[in-house]
Amino acid sequence: MIRDERLRSDELRRIDREIRADWSTGAAVEFEEAIAFHDSLPASKRFADVLESADVPLLQPRAGVPRLDDQIDLLESLRTDGGADLLPTTIDSYTRDNEYEKAAEGLEAARETGEDTLNGFPAVNHGVSGCRELIESIDAPIEVRHGTPDARLLAAITFAGGFQSFEGGPISYNIPYTKRHGLAETIENWQFVDRLAGAYTERGVRINREPFGPLTGTLVPPSIAIAIMLIEGLLAATQGVRSITLGYGQVGNVVQDVAALNALQKLGEEYLPDEVVVTTVFHEWMGGFPPDEARASGVIGLGGMTAAIARPDKVITKSPQEFQGVPTREANAAGLRTTRQVIDMAIEQEIDIDGIDEERALIERESRCLMDAVFDRGDGDIVRGTIRAFDDGALDVPFAPSDSAKGAVLPARDDDGRVRIFEWADLEMDGEIKEIHGARLSRRADTEGRDQSFRMVADDVDAISEGKLIGRPEPRGDV
Amino acid sequence: MSQTVVLGVIGSDAHVVGITILEQAFSAAGFDVVNLGVQTSQEEFAEAAVAHDAGAVLVSSLYGHARQDCQGFHDVLESAEIDAVTYIGGNLAVGQDDFERTRETFRELGFDRVFDSETDPEEAIAALRRDLQIRPTETERVTVSS
Repeated sequence: MIRDERLRSDELRRIDREIRADWSTGAAVEFEEAIAFHDSLPASKRFADVLESADVPLLQPRAGVPRLDDQIDLLESLRTDGGADLLPTTIDSYTRDNEYEKAAEGLEAARETGEDTLNGFPAVNHGVSGCRELIESIDAPIEVRHGTPDARLLAAITFAGGFQSFEGGPISYNIPYTKRHGLAETIENWQFVDRLAGAYTERGVRINREPFGPLTGTLVPPSIAIAIMLIEGLLAATQGVRSITLGYGQVGNVVQDVAALNALQKLGEEYLPDEVVVTTVFHEWMGGFPPDEARASGVIGLGGMTAAIARPDKVITKSPQEFQGVPTREANAAGLRTTRQVIDMAIEQEIDIDGIDEERALIERESRCLMDAVFDRGDGDIVRGTIRAFDDGALDVPFAPSDSAKGAVLPARDDDGRVRIFEWADLEMDGEIKEIHGARLSRRADTEGRDQSFRMVADDVDAISEGKLIGRPEPRGDV
Repeated sequence: MSQTVVLGVIGSDAHVVGITILEQAFSAAGFDVVNLGVQTSQEEFAEAAVAHDAGAVLVSSLYGHARQDCQGFHDVLESAEIDAVTYIGGNLAVGQDDFERTRETFRELGFDRVFDSETDPEEAIAALRRDLQIRPTETERVTVSS
């Protein structure tokens, strides 16, 4: 069984050779020459340095289109019209599934029809030279954002192509993104990705790594997200990564969101080794959006407000067109500007809200419980512990499509809109914490005059898109 | 006609929340639901439809690649001699599309009904009852009229 050990150099080289043979563009990757390319980049494109030295939250959108010229135009317009500090390149879903042939067909169709037939930038198909043209054209750091369980070739090509930040991890890009890949397999894949980032780091090119905090994006209880962030941070650190950005997705209750971000920062510093620079990223609401741009901007504004209070290092913004798939560049820029306006107005205010410390203490206790469960199951080895904890459901993620998680735990909002756990299944949590959640949820059930049931969960999933936070039943007589 | 509904997310798409809710809703409405989950191939839909003698095949897609993923889907169903009703729903095109155009595209591909991502499960259930000529049960009619 695999362990939390640094991948040996000869193994790194062997796997590197193997995966580069998977697609024709792999042949152009050459490590020494790639280091020289990174060394030639100006300070303004060094992702880790720019992120770690910022004193206010930096803003970053999501964006990816199939054609290279269009991707350059898109990023340039998000930088100038949207005021983005950091830029993304979102990878299409075929590449995420290692279906490079289908991505090639989609790219060909995009070139022929002029339409965006892929939902992102197929970086493997564009290859090292295509990536470098993008990096050279844009005067800002750019991150690879995707959702790929086996991202080894994507990492080899994009690192050599000049990208200095790479999203994802063995749990966060497995459990929410695929049903096919086992956890042991994705951990092994990501040991390679992290080791490769570590190899660049040792040569002075600090590749920033960002585990994907929102997970399934649907009412994920903060402590579950935090525990998975800590695990992926630890795994990356073992492989030599020294710049790690831990993520968290907005649930919409301001107190809980601020408390969760504070807990994430604190536990990140505590659990990760001293030589790692830990930063945090806040994702604006990842669930269903209102089908109305004005209302969607309200959701985005609440995210900006939360960020101004919690002060994460980075905010991933949403666009007011989120409800209908990939936004236009104008809408994407609008989401950035809405967020900026709210943060700039709020960040110099001293805003004290009751209840944040108490909620943070609860989230920390829950997170430690989950981490203890993992360490216990692995006899101190976090890889073995993680595999065993997911296997027996001690660690679980709501709405997980993956066969590697039970997906049996279910969340629901309490009467105050905070995300609690309605169905624990086998999640390992101490009894007192379960009682606290139970009491909060039963207060909501009383308010609404109905039993706790899956109906409540489904109502909560739709609530924000329908203009509310909590999925309350329709008042009687309205039907 | 069979009341078994085969449900899945096609292609490389991993959006699971919608079908989880559809599974619950269709089960609660009295259908037998076979949920194939995310990242389901055309062949897996066809195999399940044959194995369970499905009355309906419901395809979900949220990530924008539906058109490429559904090319030839109805040929695959036909060659397996499946005559089930077929629906598709979700965000079916990349970007901010005109839904009527998208609906037309998927009708031409062979789907009996095409739904956008704002559709309530109840709407799909009502449509399927009409298409499969199933009447609501006594208790459900009482609930609806109360």
